[in-house]
Amino acid sequence: VDSDGDLVLVIEDERSMARIMAASLQARGYEVMVARTGQDGLDRSAAENPAVVILDLGLPDIDGIEVCRRIRQWSRAPIIVVTADGAEDRKILALDEGADDYVTKPFSMPELLARLRVAVRHRQAFGPFVDDDLIEVGDLVVDTADHQVTVAGARVELTPKEFEFLALLARHQGKVLTHRTILHHVWGPEAVNRTEYLRTYANQLRKKLQDDSSSPRLITEPGVGYRLVARE
Amino acid sequence: MLGVDRSRRRRDPKPEFGLAAGIAVVLAATAILLPFRSDISRASPALILVIPVVLAAVFGGRMAAIATAVVGAMAFSIAFIPPVGSLRVAVSEDAVALVVFIAVAIATGTLVASEADRRRAAEQRAEEIEAMHGRYQALVEEQERLREETARLAVLEQVDKQRAALLRSVSHDLRTPLASIRAVATDLRDGAAYARPIQEELLELVCDEAERLDRIVANLLSLSRIETGALQPDRQAVALEELLNELVTRLRRLFVHITLDVQVPAALPLLDIDYVQIDQVLTNVLENAARHAPPGSTIRVSAASSEGSVTVAIVDQGPGLNGDEIEHIFEPFRTGKGSTSTGVGLAICKAIVEAHGGMISATNTPDGGAEFRFTLPVRRG
Repeated sequence: VDSDGDLVLVIEDERSMARIMAASLQARGYEVMVARTGQDGLDRSAAENPAVVILDLGLPDIDGIEVCRRIRQWSRAPIIVVTADGAEDRKILALDEGADDYVTKPFSMPELLARLRVAVRHRQAFGPFVDDDLIEVGDLVVDTADHQVTVAGARVELTPKEFEFLALLARHQGKVLTHRTILHHVWGPEAVNRTEYLRTYANQLRKKLQDDSSSPRLITEPGVGYRLVARE
Repeated sequence: MLGVDRSRRRRDPKPEFGLAAGIAVVLAATAILLPFRSDISRASPALILVIPVVLAAVFGGRMAAIATAVVGAMAFSIAFIPPVGSLRVAVSEDAVALVVFIAVAIATGTLVASEADRRRAAEQRAEEIEAMHGRYQALVEEQERLREETARLAVLEQVDKQRAALLRSVSHDLRTPLASIRAVATDLRDGAAYARPIQEELLELVCDEAERLDRIVANLLSLSRIETGALQPDRQAVALEELLNELVTRLRRLFVHITLDVQVPAALPLLDIDYVQIDQVLTNVLENAARHAPPGSTIRVSAASSEGSVTVAIVDQGPGLNGDEIEHIFEPFRTGKGSTSTGVGLAICKAIVEAHGGMISATNTPDGGAEFRFTLPVRRG
């Protein structure tokens, strides 16, 4: 059992897919509510305050990206988007509009469940709403006031850019941040296409954090962005 | 262009030739008239000598005519005006005649020359107009060719667009049932512990989705047959009732929340149809109806025979079709707003029904649902 009754709102128009997700999540202890249209999804997300939203981007009535944007206006609940066509730009758009994570159809159920667990685990620390000086991501602690980072109590020396990169990911822990978002915040608006920076800095950070490649804290989402999770 | 130049040159006045011809005729006329000099009046040679001036004017133009007139006057003076053999004129009356001759000859020559000029100019204009007309004709033909080329390119572009649309919708449509199948399979492999009824429901769902995949693939095969023109009905005697019974059993999972009411009169004649193809037509129309019918509603299938054909009607209680949809519903890749279908199913229905010599139509019922109607041929003899 993954959960003790967190409410998951599934916004999915495909009857069979909605049924499968509902059955699978209920078997793991989640409480599930299904909406078959974007409008119904918006109504329920406002009325029921779900812990997590699973949102299919291909809805019959309202564009999924728009649904994402509107839910973000009142809710901090993590949103996991489901793309049917594997179109990179659609999921990146959704992530930039406030979605936290994505899966691409046809996805495996364990993959969706894993992403759901991450979303629930980091729910409290989600969004740009967290602005504590001390951000904890498992055994990783980022002190944004003193610009210091420790892993399991041991100090890690970072360059200013490495620190900003890590602090941004920590502030949005669990959430996938797109290349564009990270470059914009750390290197400035003129650097939004310099994805080569990210590769270099991500590698340096993994080395300094002594990330284990089998269960890394700093996860690469190929072609999309990066995210930071607590080590399991 | 060369031809035009050559003909223009040919018709231009040739002063040397005109003058030479004029003088030759003056000399010939003088030589012929000379023996009768004493028998004829002086007016006769004067009149006859106007002829070479006219000839010179026609062939050589105005200057040749004037020169010929002068030569003619000299010949007239020398040969016919006393004293003969000299240019001198003895009698004043003869001087007046000579002057009148010159004046008349020049006037006539000038008039004839300018008339000839006008005629030549008119002919030239006519020729130019004709040439222009020819060029215009060539331009029109060229334009026509370009138009045809453009039309052909537009058709090719349309075909390209349709192929892209087909690939898009097919990959989406194949992926949707695949996604459900994969989700259930990975979930069960992962060791998900389900209560028995739920596990059965999920496996049932996998079977449904596999059948949906099969229907999509069947439609794709038909589509490719339509494209290659290989949609030949393999006709046999078929009882519509049997076909429908079989079909309803196979599609029953599509109608879990919908009532299917099939009313086929027992006395319906046998149909002369390709069983597999008409099965596909009914499957596509029923699947389309099931997709749009609200839960709890009824889909009615009925059939009636009339003079050599059977009309099948499928009526649902869904939202119906809007005007634009009714017009284009049988075109490939036309899907309703928010539709989850490939948009080829109904296009295939139309192609198959028409290959059987029948007709298919879509309308709205008075209560707002959609009604699909098509005719099928009856077996003879």
